[in-house]
Amino acid sequence: MSASFIEYGILNIIFAVFVSPLFISMIKKVKALAQGRRGPSILQAYYNTFKLLKKETVYSTNSSWVMRTTPYVNMAVMCVAALFVPMILMPAPVSSIGNIILFLYLLALAKFFMALSGLDAGSTFGGMGSSREMTLSAIIEPVIIVVFAALAFAMKTTNMIEMFLGILKSGALFSNPVLILVSISLFIIIIVESARIPVDNPETHLELTMVHEAMILEQSGKNLAMMEWSHAIKQMLLMGILINILFPVGIATELTLAGIAVSALIFILKASVLSAIIGLFESSIAKSRLFHLPDLFMIAMFFSLATILIEVFA
Amino acid sequence: MRQTRARELDTLNELFYVGTIGLFLGALFSAIGSKKAESAKVSLALSVVSCMSLLAFSAITLYYNEAISIPLYSIIPSLQFSFFIDRLAAFFILIISIVSLSVSIYSSGYIEHYKSTAKKNSLTSLMLVFILSMVLVVSSKNMFSFLFFWELMALSSFILVMFEYEKKETRKAGLFYFVMTQLSTVFLLLAFILIYNTTGSFEIAKMQLSASGISSIAFILLFLGFGIKAGIIPFHKWLPYAHPASPSNISALMSGIMIKVAIYGMMRFILFVLTPQLSWGIIIFTAGVISAILGVIYALKEHDIKRLLAYHSIENIGIILIGLGLYIIFSAYNLPELAMLGLIGALFHTMNHALFKSLLFTTAGSVVNATETKNIEEMGGLIKKMPYTAALFFIGAVSISALPPFNGFVSELMIFQALLSSSALANPLLEIFLIAGLAIFALTSALAAACFVKAFGITFLAVPRSHEAEKAKEASLPEILGSGILALSCVVLGVFSFQIFSLVGYSALIPNLFVVGALLAGFYAFAFAVMHAFASGNTRTGETWGCGILSQNPKMEYTASGFSEPIVTIFKSIYRTKKQNDRFYFDISQSVFRQGNAEIRLMKFFEERLYMPVARIAEFLSIKASEMQKSGLDAYIAYSFITIVALLILAGLSA
Amino acid sequence: MITPVMIDSTIKVLIDLILATAAIIIVKRDMLSLISTYSVQSFLLFSMALVLYAENGSTMLLYLAVLTLVSKVIVIPKVMEKVQKKLNIKRDVEFHYLSPTSALFTSMFIILVVHLLLSRILAELQLSNMFFLGATVGISLMFMGMIIIFSRKQTITNIVGYLTMENGVLLFSLFLTELPMIIEVLIIVDLVMLTLMATILAFGINATIDEFHARLNPFIKISESKLFGVKQNTCGAESRASPAGKAVPNMQKFGGDMK
Repeated sequence: MSASFIEYGILNIIFAVFVSPLFISMIKKVKALAQGRRGPSILQAYYNTFKLLKKETVYSTNSSWVMRTTPYVNMAVMCVAALFVPMILMPAPVSSIGNIILFLYLLALAKFFMALSGLDAGSTFGGMGSSREMTLSAIIEPVIIVVFAALAFAMKTTNMIEMFLGILKSGALFSNPVLILVSISLFIIIIVESARIPVDNPETHLELTMVHEAMILEQSGKNLAMMEWSHAIKQMLLMGILINILFPVGIATELTLAGIAVSALIFILKASVLSAIIGLFESSIAKSRLFHLPDLFMIAMFFSLATILIEVFA
Repeated sequence: MRQTRARELDTLNELFYVGTIGLFLGALFSAIGSKKAESAKVSLALSVVSCMSLLAFSAITLYYNEAISIPLYSIIPSLQFSFFIDRLAAFFILIISIVSLSVSIYSSGYIEHYKSTAKKNSLTSLMLVFILSMVLVVSSKNMFSFLFFWELMALSSFILVMFEYEKKETRKAGLFYFVMTQLSTVFLLLAFILIYNTTGSFEIAKMQLSASGISSIAFILLFLGFGIKAGIIPFHKWLPYAHPASPSNISALMSGIMIKVAIYGMMRFILFVLTPQLSWGIIIFTAGVISAILGVIYALKEHDIKRLLAYHSIENIGIILIGLGLYIIFSAYNLPELAMLGLIGALFHTMNHALFKSLLFTTAGSVVNATETKNIEEMGGLIKKMPYTAALFFIGAVSISALPPFNGFVSELMIFQALLSSSALANPLLEIFLIAGLAIFALTSALAAACFVKAFGITFLAVPRSHEAEKAKEASLPEILGSGILALSCVVLGVFSFQIFSLVGYSALIPNLFVVGALLAGFYAFAFAVMHAFASGNTRTGETWGCGILSQNPKMEYTASGFSEPIVTIFKSIYRTKKQNDRFYFDISQSVFRQGNAEIRLMKFFEERLYMPVARIAEFLSIKASEMQKSGLDAYIAYSFITIVALLILAGLSA
Repeated sequence: MITPVMIDSTIKVLIDLILATAAIIIVKRDMLSLISTYSVQSFLLFSMALVLYAENGSTMLLYLAVLTLVSKVIVIPKVMEKVQKKLNIKRDVEFHYLSPTSALFTSMFIILVVHLLLSRILAELQLSNMFFLGATVGISLMFMGMIIIFSRKQTITNIVGYLTMENGVLLFSLFLTELPMIIEVLIIVDLVMLTLMATILAFGINATIDEFHARLNPFIKISESKLFGVKQNTCGAESRASPAGKAVPNMQKFGGDMK
């Protein structure tokens, strides 16, 4: 692990941690504007976090160390996962960090803990959320793997940072059609993993439409702040992957102050555009029934398999 | 130099002798002193010592890559008991010794559950015979000794499965297991005889390919024989019967090591004796994929904790076969690095599964002992009553769900890596086939995680659901210690995987999980410190909000069937559960209910469609055959008459 | 400059998107989205024709593209929307013979098999990879259209399935180097005829069944009652759609009661 990688790591993690809540509020703002409202301010997620940090934490009498450690585990996992997705600076690849399967399973580790904490308090909502979350994540997993397989086929490597570097150097979009198709699948994966309509409704607390929210229903105070924060970081990382695959132009390759600042602004701009697209997409369709979701995921799977077919046969 | 080498070999031989003779003595001791109270403890102590010596032996053999050859006893020159331990055998002896060591320590606490001394001693004695037979199977050089110890292993495990023979399910399970294991022996015998016919000797050595037809038949027979013992679908049905029926330490041994011995047999014979072909690799890969996905899908429906774990064993055997199949496929296409990745992944997963499956079984055994029930729907809240057991089960659950930085993740990562690099193959159809297998493998892995969230969550978290669960007490110290050794090895093998592999000389493309683990721990501490500094430190405990109901009762918690209901509904075409309800009313507008009946019918697919028809055909044939054995002399004379006339005709025709 | 690599990439992307629209038609239950997906599919075909025109330069492709745009993207979907509004059928929920997931797996399998067959049969002719891809997807689209037809019950969905089949033929023919125009005109006329006839049929059935329903009202009431016990077999299947949403509701009911 060279010194430049450590610098990159610190920068990336700081950027991920501090900028991610912005995009959560941005999507909310876009959705509100689409509904004709003014909506909350763009910095609302930060205000919420600060307010939550000041509140006291309430634990259920039924809960155990699982509930108490899950928020910290989630934050730790997301910070480590942030090392895998360069957003403002593209480092030289290292062998230990960057494996695509490691990234995926780190996210699965966070999900495992979250699902267990949902069951911990002994409430029905939590169990229901855990059950649905594990089901949906199981069904979307083959799609994610096939998408990663298509990427690995195209870029001939399983190291994410090497992939991004390769895409940056080869001038992206038009050299490889697989990337456009993979981006569409990745967009669907972002919707699923960050719990957006049509998979889950992040704004309601009704049991008919809760999946992710149900699992963190029992968390309070700083724990809730951490869970929401790690959710925001996860969403930003996935958006970062999509941006790096589709449109990596503008990312800095050397560590200079001006370069980093410009690169950060460009990334925030690109991610804002992507948030607007996600918000508009969410506003234009309704949430699907839980048991219609596997059919939708099968379409995504079909699409990704067709991508691989096209790549293998031509 | 040569003298030091000879002395080293001598010490290695001594270690091996100490190990095996120690186990034998332990078994004997318990068997002879079966009325004495302490003989079980002494045998177990002997077993621990022997396992440690075997552990040292195998570790040194693995590290130095020395092969040990020990010819023992010949009945006739071609049938002898001889042992040969190379790296592959040493690896499996390593697995056997670590697991046996931990299970022996665990057993000294577990057998206190049985009240009679005779039972305790017989359990210990048989267990040691079981372990000894497995060690000797793995080290056999001669097919005769292989089969001899294989049968000994089968016999001792059968008696152990039938240990609680008072219960009817145990008897049924034992009988089922016995029939299946004898079937596997039949296939193995046929294969061995075939090989003997081709090569002229019973030695386990590389067979020079004479006819590819013969080697294909040998492959099919060996695959069937070892597959039945390993629990590949569709021969898996004995596993979910035998594992819940037997005592938990025996389930740990059976699931942890015995099915691995079948994998050893497969690897030894198919890779070493025969030369594998591409079609074999594809067959093994397909069998692996099917076993993996069906194993985990059936596991999701189970609420008996040991049956759930048994189905997960089937799933993991499937994963090992996926790795093995990949090795053969990539070797056939001349891609040695990818082939080695597949093989090392399969071998490492063998070790990992042995470790975490035994861990899960031992902790499940403690839980079953404490709560007097195997049904997880009657447990709950045990994390407060049995904290150490819960933590150890948690480590096992995280390992089996293949989450970093524990060991299950590393082996699955290797297999994923091999599959993701399959673009190097030139055959597009095969690439697409492998990608389909990859998708199913990913689904398996995610479903396993879902199943263990259920298993751990319903068993340990929230509130106790029954009276016995409320009264549960923590397991005894030996139980925790035994499980603890296994848990520790899971963690060590996961976090230090990169270092261990570089030590053995195989620096693979696996990421350095020590770094990842250190980063995780570091960020955890950092987040804790930040929160401590900036956030409010007030905490309060209160009751869970139950929508206004004043006191929460266990009925409000989520149940296990509720947890797996979405998955069961999505995969309902595989489960083939038929729900039928009839309702009858008194009036046209259906407002006054008269009567109704509802029926949920589970179709046990493999039992009803595969096993029972085969059993019925066998029964039919045997009835017909027994009809031929009429008691009259005239029938026998008639048979002799027909035979002699047929022989005369044949002689006349061929002259 | 537009390089051949770019054209190849665009063709690949378009082909994949066309396959995705066909998959959506197989799975989706909402009638309006089926029709709009069909028009998106035809639009993709229009763009494909334009791209191939940019590559080849044959004016046939240009005419074909414009014709597709006018008839399949604008006219036919509009007609179908009108029909759908008149019939007031919103959803098509039941699946016959093949559930959506197994239909998708079957389609995947068919694509593989078709590609294998094509590459075996046409191995001697030196044809480009793009042709194989286009031909495979065209033929697969035909099969997927067939799957749509037999796995659904509503008339409009059947029409969309048939139109998908036509799209498949169109896609296949786009990749041929020689394109006789007559075939395309014939196909378009065929389609218009079909849509008209389907409209009439749909109206016709509805009209007839309404009278039929009115005449048989008293008998229906009694046989619909649960007095003597009617079994409700729910083998985990979807519940029946409401009678208002079906074009042929009563045949179903009678068939159900006569068990």
